[in-house]
Amino acid sequence: MSLVEFWDYLVLGVVLGSIYAVIAIGYTLVYGVLQLINFAHSEVFMLGAYGGLIALTVVAPGNAPSGLASVGYVVLGLAAGAAFGALTAYGLEKVAYRPLRRRGSPRLIFLITAIGASFFLYNLAGKLFGRDPLPMPEAYENKKVLTVFGADLNVTQLLLLASAVVMMVGLDMVVNRTKLGSGIRAVSQDAEVAGLMGVDIDKVVSRTFVIGGLLGGAAGFLYGTFTQVKFDMGFIPGITAFAAAVVGGIGNIRGAMLGGLMLGIVETLTVPAFGGEWRHVGAFVVLIAVLMFRPTGILGERVGRTA
Amino acid sequence: MLNKNIVKLGIPLAVGALALTGCANDSGSSGDTVKIAFQGPLSGDNVALGQNMERGIQLAIEQANAKGDLGVKLEYFPVDDQGLPEKATAAAQKAIDDTDVVALVGPAFSGATNSAAPLLGDAGLTAISPSATNPGLTEQGFKTFLRGVPNDNAQGAGMADYYAKKLKAKKVYLLDDKSDYGVGLAQVANDKLTAAGVEVVKKSVPAKTPDYSATAKDVVNSKADALIYAGYYQDAAPFAKKLAEAGYKGAAISGDGTNDMKFVELAGDASENWFLTCPCTDATVEASTKQFTEDYKKKFNVAPGTYSAEAYDLTNYVIQEVKRLGDKADRASIYDALAKGSYKGLTKEFSFDGKGELKISNIYLYQVKGGKIAYQGSIQELAGS
Repeated sequence: MSLVEFWDYLVLGVVLGSIYAVIAIGYTLVYGVLQLINFAHSEVFMLGAYGGLIALTVVAPGNAPSGLASVGYVVLGLAAGAAFGALTAYGLEKVAYRPLRRRGSPRLIFLITAIGASFFLYNLAGKLFGRDPLPMPEAYENKKVLTVFGADLNVTQLLLLASAVVMMVGLDMVVNRTKLGSGIRAVSQDAEVAGLMGVDIDKVVSRTFVIGGLLGGAAGFLYGTFTQVKFDMGFIPGITAFAAAVVGGIGNIRGAMLGGLMLGIVETLTVPAFGGEWRHVGAFVVLIAVLMFRPTGILGERVGRTA
Repeated sequence: MLNKNIVKLGIPLAVGALALTGCANDSGSSGDTVKIAFQGPLSGDNVALGQNMERGIQLAIEQANAKGDLGVKLEYFPVDDQGLPEKATAAAQKAIDDTDVVALVGPAFSGATNSAAPLLGDAGLTAISPSATNPGLTEQGFKTFLRGVPNDNAQGAGMADYYAKKLKAKKVYLLDDKSDYGVGLAQVANDKLTAAGVEVVKKSVPAKTPDYSATAKDVVNSKADALIYAGYYQDAAPFAKKLAEAGYKGAAISGDGTNDMKFVELAGDASENWFLTCPCTDATVEASTKQFTEDYKKKFNVAPGTYSAEAYDLTNYVIQEVKRLGDKADRASIYDALAKGSYKGLTKEFSFDGKGELKISNIYLYQVKGGKIAYQGSIQELAGS
């Protein structure tokens, strides 16, 4: 592999990794406040992709627009994806998790419910939208924009990177600078005491799900433009993002971003080094290696403290 | 005591009665109805392919009934295996249990055939498949399996021939999807290309990998001037897209798993100029299938798809033998007649070797042009071999 080729793959890895990072935030946030792995988050992601697809198909069937119109389409797709994701996540919390929380069910029950909800949602999507993949309508012409160290970057890749960065910075600010953010941090540190101090726990939990859903849904739309939309598209990115959250330190938002980027880069670099069949092996070897030396992940659990 | 006597008498009587009714049904054609079964995906992920064949079969049966020179009434008997090996045995059993069924067209998929064919063999029920192309199927001594389509050996060889002889490729990047179908196809192409002195880079990426960016870069960086993708359209489409983005300019070819308009829809402009092979002819183009295409469109309001005409042909072959055998038509005699006889269908001449393999092995080439899959003709002729 020459140096230029290495840059090629690194850029691809950063692009893929930034999507994983945005999805991983959804896992980490929910884990932070509820100590629950929301395995249905991959379906939030998938439904976000369908949301973007539906919005674009309704508004803009036909050919790729250019200029300002395509910016509008991208924003519309992102908004629709985020809205679908948020709705799904909100519904999930209301229907699947809140009743269990009321009854004080053990953690294992939450986990099983999460997996059940995931199966239900993706089969529902298969029934509603068909089991064949669908192409995302083109919101712009995917041209080469710039070259970094000999590696080409096209519109989709730049869009992915930019949106991911905006989302991550925005979230970081929400969590660290707003009242809602301090609520989230308080509940994740000690839900009982936070409740006694007057924090409305139900509200905080439900908003946390909505934030995770917004990000996951938008990531779903971006991923759809990057590949295609399918009812079972959530599974692999979902599992990888979950691993990313664990690598970074589950419950830790910046850890999730770091873990996502890392897994994306490792996965991509595995392809030229060992071949495409090893890509997930590479990523999961990193997961195991990190957990052997730092069982709490690279940055450890710290969603509760100010970053 | 009395009860025991009743039981002693009753059992032989009941068994005898069952045996008698069984006999009556077994002779099949002596009754009024003869059923032809179809086994394939009639629900689930790949239902479109199953429907293509089902409609061909239904059309053949309807036309034969309309002619009215058979002496019996033909009936269509669908059994659904969703294309899945684990559902195939239960589906086949349904066809076996109905003694009016004299032959089964299918199973449609290689994996499903592998698990259902032993069962069908033991029951003596013919399984004549219009689409199961895994080369290994005829090597396993299934008692009643006939393959009405050239296998993947022919397809892989066709691709290799076309690249080596017609396009004079120097270096071919060969990617399979790790499925039974993809790996088999890639292996044959690999062997043939190497034998022809073409350099081959052989790689695998498992199906359902959503991100092909790195693999596409790998293709470009390998400096290959031609590419073979051995897999299905669900993966070929995103791969084609990423290839175009990565700036790949060489030739690209894929097999019957990709030969579907869905591939073009999903990949968009990136699919332009892709070559696709298939052991199937294009019923909408060939002169011999013009009438069939018209009838098909009239009945179902859609054009025939991949393997529709082949399924139609095979059903007509079964009907021909049912007619010829008349009163003597049962499962065993029909299998014998099909295996040893021959039939000139719309798509090709059907006759089988000792293993149940189709004797001729024509592969046809298609190319994506202007957003359509355009029929090019026989690959052997195009490659000049």
